[in-house]
Amino acid sequence: MEDKFDCIIVGGGVAGLSAAITLARNDMKFLLIERGEFSGSKNVSGGVLWGEGLSKLVPNYWEEEDAGFERFINHRRLTFMDSDSTFSIDFKSDSFGEKPYKGVIVLRAKFDNWLSEKVEEAIGASKYPDESFLAPNILVEEVLMDGDQAVGIRAGEEKFFADSVIIAEGVNNLLTRQVGLQDDYVPADALAVGLKEIIKYDQTVLEDRFQLNGLSGMSNEFIGTATQGVEGGGFLYTNKDSVSFGLVLGMISLRDSGLKPYDILNEFKAHPVIRDTLKGGEVVEYSAHAVSTGDMKVMPKEIYGNGVLVAGEAANLLMNSGKAIQGMDYALHSGVLAAETIVEAHKSGDFTKNTMKTYRDKLEKSFVLQDMKNFQGAVEFLHSKQMFESVPGLVCDFGKQFFSIKNEPTPKTRHMLSKSVKKHSSYWQLLKLGIKGARSL
Amino acid sequence: MSKILVHIATSEGKIKRSSLEVMSYCKTLADKNSMTLEAVVLDPDPAKYTDQLNTYGPDKVYQVKHPIFKNHLNAAVIEALSKVIDQSGPRLCAFASTESAKEVIGALAARHDAAAIPDVAGFTINNGSVDAERPVMAAKVLSKTSSSSELVLVSVRSGSYDLAENPGNAETVAVDFDFDESGLRAVLKEVLSSAGDKVDLSEAEVVVAAGRGIKDENGRKLVEELAETLGAAIGASRAVTESGLFPATLQIGQTGKVVSPQLYFAIGISGAIQHVAGMANSKVIVAINKDPDAPIFQYATYGLVGDLFKILPPLTEELRKIKGA
Amino acid sequence: MKFSVCIKQVPDVSAPISIKDGTLTQDSDRMVLDAYSASAVEEALVLIDKHGGEVQVVLVGPEKAKETIRKALAMGAASGVHIVVDDVSGLDSGAYAEILAAWHKKSDYDIILTGKQSQDTDAGLTGGMLAWKLELPYAANAVGLTYDNEGGKLTVTRQGDSGQEMIELTSPCLVTCSNDMNEPRIPSLKGIMQSKRKKVETLQLGDLGLDPDTLSSKTSKTKGQGYKEVPGREPGKKLEGDPEELVTELVGLLENEAKVL
Ligand SMILES: Cc1cc2nc3c(=O)[nH]c(=O)nc-3n(C[C@H](O)[C@H](O)[C@H](O)COP(=O)(O)OP(=O)(O)OC[C@H]3O[C@@H](n4cnc5c(N)ncnc54)[C@H](O)[C@@H]3O)c2cc1C
Ligand SMILES: Cc1cc2nc3c(=O)[nH]c(=O)nc-3n(C[C@H](O)[C@H](O)[C@H](O)COP(=O)(O)OP(=O)(O)OC[C@H]3O[C@@H](n4cnc5c(N)ncnc54)[C@H](O)[C@@H]3O)c2cc1C
Ligand SMILES: Nc1ncnc2c1ncn2[C@@H]1O[C@H](COP(=O)(O)O)[C@@H](O)[C@H]1O
Repeated sequence: MEDKFDCIIVGGGVAGLSAAITLARNDMKFLLIERGEFSGSKNVSGGVLWGEGLSKLVPNYWEEEDAGFERFINHRRLTFMDSDSTFSIDFKSDSFGEKPYKGVIVLRAKFDNWLSEKVEEAIGASKYPDESFLAPNILVEEVLMDGDQAVGIRAGEEKFFADSVIIAEGVNNLLTRQVGLQDDYVPADALAVGLKEIIKYDQTVLEDRFQLNGLSGMSNEFIGTATQGVEGGGFLYTNKDSVSFGLVLGMISLRDSGLKPYDILNEFKAHPVIRDTLKGGEVVEYSAHAVSTGDMKVMPKEIYGNGVLVAGEAANLLMNSGKAIQGMDYALHSGVLAAETIVEAHKSGDFTKNTMKTYRDKLEKSFVLQDMKNFQGAVEFLHSKQMFESVPGLVCDFGKQFFSIKNEPTPKTRHMLSKSVKKHSSYWQLLKLGIKGARSL
Repeated sequence: MSKILVHIATSEGKIKRSSLEVMSYCKTLADKNSMTLEAVVLDPDPAKYTDQLNTYGPDKVYQVKHPIFKNHLNAAVIEALSKVIDQSGPRLCAFASTESAKEVIGALAARHDAAAIPDVAGFTINNGSVDAERPVMAAKVLSKTSSSSELVLVSVRSGSYDLAENPGNAETVAVDFDFDESGLRAVLKEVLSSAGDKVDLSEAEVVVAAGRGIKDENGRKLVEELAETLGAAIGASRAVTESGLFPATLQIGQTGKVVSPQLYFAIGISGAIQHVAGMANSKVIVAINKDPDAPIFQYATYGLVGDLFKILPPLTEELRKIKGA
Repeated sequence: MKFSVCIKQVPDVSAPISIKDGTLTQDSDRMVLDAYSASAVEEALVLIDKHGGEVQVVLVGPEKAKETIRKALAMGAASGVHIVVDDVSGLDSGAYAEILAAWHKKSDYDIILTGKQSQDTDAGLTGGMLAWKLELPYAANAVGLTYDNEGGKLTVTRQGDSGQEMIELTSPCLVTCSNDMNEPRIPSLKGIMQSKRKKVETLQLGDLGLDPDTLSSKTSKTKGQGYKEVPGREPGKKLEGDPEELVTELVGLLENEAKVL
């Protein structure tokens, strides 16, 4: 073999591309392989890339004329819904407009493609501009092993070799299983299915409707009737001239309900409040994609091996805490850490587990695994039945009483609350839930 | 601004309908702008079209007679048209957007240092500028293109204009045309016509078009039976011509033919934009597709949701009764 | 045999488009190798596999279009020529043909291939214009090509108005290729890797004796005046039910409402 790479990255999603930029900056020779026609072509999820990780990866990205993001977040809303009402917690802050942004809304087809251009730029600026490659439209079928050491990949008839392999293949982690890091059987209760529509508007209509200004944007999560009693929640993010709108539904709960995901989505859209919100838009894209629920029990047994690291959602690094889905920021950070580990291994010349293990240590110390551990309770809490059934009902019922003025003696708020509680739950249950919620968040 | 010259395409001894559409429109355009309308026919026997042409009101008809025009050979067409353009000195030269026209229009423009605006859905003349609209970006949008060149060549998609008779009596001019093929470095060896070419697809009044949904020989037979009953031309999507079930000549769409019949059947065609680009000018579109969300239903006058294998047999049967009666 | 294949970089036309005040915006600003150009590259590669020779690709376009040249090199072309024009907004097929002609007058080739049209403009003019400027015999809308080594003759099967026409061209000559001719190959990993080591010659218009300032006004004889929506069709009727019912209903409508039977 004429050339051996320092590293081969499988998957050109957020994790793989972030790893690639980091490798290029450190003058590593690498090959990144993406099965889609281009990075982003297979990625349906759009959503919010939370946190400031992107500004570290691509400094001052917001100064670019057409950086890959749609809008930054300065307005967040969490909505509880029953069959005819919604009750929202709404937060908007000008301070969120300061750079670096706290979160940017992205459409993956565009964002990933943009990020891949950043990889090309980084390769061009590195010591080996002609020895690192982005190869789209190629499916990696196998990670090649020499004993228990990963030594390269096979795509069709072609084999390529490297000191190390970063698996960043996303949620359907076949290669992670092939190298023995993940069990073949993953319980379905740790998987969800995400449905998403892109609904297009005239840009000024969109900006007026959601009170957007310049590049500012809004994220809205929904809990309650959105999902017809199926575990999960809804989301709405404002893009430049469209909204990303959809649901994340628990696989098991969905199966048990016997409902079709698309029908649930249509019901959700028919909700009187949602209907008004979405009025006048045109659906231009519909897609469905599996997503992890963020349950740590399905993380791979290990996320490193001899010559191999697993990053992003392939390692099940994701959290759905109800107030946000965090997958891309975890993917980004884990990609960077994986690459940094490879750089260290390259220096020491040791690509065995001994060095690869530092990837795990880094992740443990970072917000990724810290948060995932600390908020496991929240994940469970969110997936509890009360959370998507009785709580939203209760909240909306209270809202109906509290906000209606009837020209008759108005009961004290505390009585309204107790009435709603009795209808949807009991104080005892609510107390339990409250304690659980308070502990987990 | 004085003259419009229309190229008249002929096939099997008849003027193509699309050329008459262009004639019809150019007559109004010429009248409105006080221009003279001229036509040019390249044919082994150009005189035989004069009567029919006169129905559309040209002031003058150039007849270029040569046996070579029995088939299409670009060098000969360019040579002849150049000569007529030099002789006539038109401001605008209009073509029906046939494959033959598409082949020569670029070279002809280069030769006369002229502007070319091909495959337009419509055009007009405003204060000395030729303004046209043409589908671009996989026919998703119309681009407005204009030119103030001394000579502008346009080719017009079929079905863009209605036929309108305007009887007159043209002066005919026989153009001297000698063509020496021997020096050419391009020789037409053979024209392969397949059975499907019998009815000229781009001119047909009724088209039955088959898509991947017809699946196999069986589906093909059903389509052929329907077409025969209706006396229709058969067309196909690219998925089908690629599979070999129907010959490539029958492909309708952006890369294939543009059709504009009175009645168009889309049988098991999903309605990809590249296909629609070739048939959206049809008057009545009937779509048969088992997928209720197939994009073709956005274009269909009558959309039938169902299995073509179950719908076609009774449909053909029913139509046969009517046609037989 | 030396092929020179003219390739164009075009916006990804499959991305959603919107029009506002006559200007066009696309959801994705991704640029790709024109599908018709790609078919031309493929065809050249197939022919040199059989008969030997070399494929060079030529592209007129901005700096960023280099990635499109790389794509063709990854498919298997041996070298590339990049004629850099940063602002192509004022250029039409006539201008591209002028630039391509200037280049080809200085270069040697046996066969020039272009796409029969390009995916963004669907114009189909460049090939014929270029052939005329270079005084080459040509054929457009090819769906098949065979080469006869002995006589240096290329037989083109082109899709004509009534059937397929077989035309024999003597090289040097030019052919515009349909995308119905073949399925362009997807570059292999090895191809992608080799593409970085292949030579891409970069030229400015001045190197070809062309004046960038006057090029668009002199050779672009057409001007874009913005875009508009394609007029939609009237919404139709969607019929559902069992086949027999559907047929009766349809035939009724065709007879009485549409009156086309
Ligand atoms: C509906 C929905 C909404 C979401 N909303 C949000 C949100 O708002 N915020 C957020 O942070 N996260 C969100 N997520 C989660 C987020 O999308 C993922 O966590 C994130 O994309 C993971 O990044 P990744 O790089 O690990 O994997 P991916 O983005 O899935 O990338 C993996 C890549 O590898 C490629 N690949 C896979 N196998 C191979 C192979 N064998 N050979 C070559 N290439 C291969 C794939 O084509 C793909 O491009 C959402 C997910 C869904 C489904
Ligand atoms: C540059 C370029 C140029 C192109 N040019 C053209 C062109 O000129 N012409 C063209 O046609 N395409 C063209 N294409 C291809 C085009 O994009 C589509 O791929 C093609 O039109 C699809 O053909 P189809 O509708 O037959 O097949 P499909 O898209 O596969 O659709 C088949 C349909 O049949 C339906 N169906 C299946 N079984 C049944 C049944 N039993 N009963 C009823 N319905 C059934 C299905 O629901 C489906 O909607 C071009 C593409 C490109 C990229
Ligand atoms: N800028 C360009 N650079 C190289 N080739 C081009 C360019 N523009 C057009 N062509 C070639 O000409 C063909 C037809 O172009 P068009 O006339 O724009 O439809 C394309 O498929 C290309 O092969």
